[in-house]
Amino acid sequence: MIRVENLSKEYGPVRALDDVSFEVGRQQILGFLGPNGAGKSTAMKIITTYLAPTSGKVLVDGIDVTEDPIAVRRRIGYLPETNPLYMDMRVDEYLRFCGQARGLRGEELRRRFDFVVEATRIGHMLKKEINQLSKGFKQRTGLAQALIHDPPVLILDEPTSGLDPLQIIEIRKLIQDLAREKTIIFSTHILSEISSTTNNVIIINQGKAIARGQINELTRDAYRELPVRASLVAPRDAVEAQLQQISGVDHVSVLGESDGQVSVEFRVQGDIGPAQRAVGEAALANGWTVLELGTPEVTLEDVFIAIVQNSDKAKIHDGQPAAAEVTHG
Amino acid sequence: MANIGIIFRREFRAYFDSSIAYIFMIVFLLFTAGIFMSGFFLQGAADMRSFFGNLPLFNLFFLPAVTMRLWAEDKRIGTMELLMTFPMKAHEIVAGKYLAALAFYAISLAGTITLPIMIAAIGNPDLGAIAGGYIGSLLLGAFYLAVGIFVSGLFKDQIAAFVVALMICLFFFFAGMPIVVATTDGWVNGLGSFLENFVGITAHFEDIQRGVLDMRNVLYFLTMTGLFLVLNTLSLEGRKY
Repeated sequence: MIRVENLSKEYGPVRALDDVSFEVGRQQILGFLGPNGAGKSTAMKIITTYLAPTSGKVLVDGIDVTEDPIAVRRRIGYLPETNPLYMDMRVDEYLRFCGQARGLRGEELRRRFDFVVEATRIGHMLKKEINQLSKGFKQRTGLAQALIHDPPVLILDEPTSGLDPLQIIEIRKLIQDLAREKTIIFSTHILSEISSTTNNVIIINQGKAIARGQINELTRDAYRELPVRASLVAPRDAVEAQLQQISGVDHVSVLGESDGQVSVEFRVQGDIGPAQRAVGEAALANGWTVLELGTPEVTLEDVFIAIVQNSDKAKIHDGQPAAAEVTHG
Repeated sequence: MANIGIIFRREFRAYFDSSIAYIFMIVFLLFTAGIFMSGFFLQGAADMRSFFGNLPLFNLFFLPAVTMRLWAEDKRIGTMELLMTFPMKAHEIVAGKYLAALAFYAISLAGTITLPIMIAAIGNPDLGAIAGGYIGSLLLGAFYLAVGIFVSGLFKDQIAAFVVALMICLFFFFAGMPIVVATTDGWVNGLGSFLENFVGITAHFEDIQRGVLDMRNVLYFLTMTGLFLVLNTLSLEGRKY
């Protein structure tokens, strides 16, 4: 549905996006992850035809954004990072204006209007001026605007920023509901945001796509970097000796020992699964009680930090200068 | 056309949704009609020459205030991204916004219609000249407003848009003044009359105001208006790169 090929964007001497490629299939959600100023918004602005790429290509539903921007705009609902609301308009006026501007008329406009009001649950706010709304309702109005023409593609730039936890959950749920029939790209710098909405992510840092794929795959890579911990009711020396014998296990270190219970930490070369199983079997064979065996919970923060650090290291190895930080207005 | 209408309606309503529109109109009417009336009975002539004669100067301040928000505000509050991702051509949005400003000015100008009615009641004015004056004022306004909307597209800050639009209009205002024309002709022969005929406002406006509707004068205003509207559209398209 959306295809981005070798996309680059320069603002004068600054490279905001550097050779980014990815693809989003129909009815998929793609999470755009990255620190502030990483280039997420720039990429979205190019997909929505607000900006033109310096080089590279973006196809939405097979249409090139630079060749037929108007056809692309018809297919996209866009909620920019700065919610584009006319504060002096009433909610209903604003939504009708956006609907008409996107070509809806008469019965169709009424039908879509009713639908988005229902979906975003702003029915009781329709007669209010937008500047009187709370942040959460403003955000919903912004979402309603992006949905009014029933676009197959939704581009949401930080849709939950500045909302309170309850509002975040609501918006997130709305996005998930919408994903049943729409292709969605949404960006965030809050990691937990992504894992609760989609499994499919791309991580952007300093204009480059540094990782792409399923969150659980990316997490697995981060797990490899982490030590495994075990707590056993067993004699210390025996545990140490047993662990050394298991293939793939090294760097065994004892964390603590008390009341006949020993806590150890070790690293695994290769897959963690078999090594973990071997440790469990060894404990069973020796009649030890296993209190704990496994890696500590990996958060997306760990994943993210691991990937960003790796990419920074790689950059230094390549001898390329790091791109300057870019802020988007 | 439908797209122009949609943008026009929103922008036109935006003028009247805030109190600014009413304040602006009252000030405009008080100022133009008030200054005219203060000299009217002393002068003792049943015409509106001094009224129209002052408009190019007064409008230098009024019209950039009408146009300054047109793009600058959208840039400031973020609705620029909404407008520019509507399935519309840039020139349609420019036209919608511009026509809203022009309609607003036309209504303000129409508010002075009591002046010719009053003059006709107490004297015997040259109605052709007055009609010419109104047509000229509308054309003049069209030109100033086109400069204003173009400049507004370059700024995020409304005050900056106001001041720069005023400066550009002021240039066209001064360029056609007889003293400027005579002086520049003294420096470089022919440059002054070039300014008078192709750049400055004065000669064109005064001809129309006399009731002489020469196509060359009308074309001057329409060309200038078109030029700045095209520049506005180009600057919007160029913003993407």
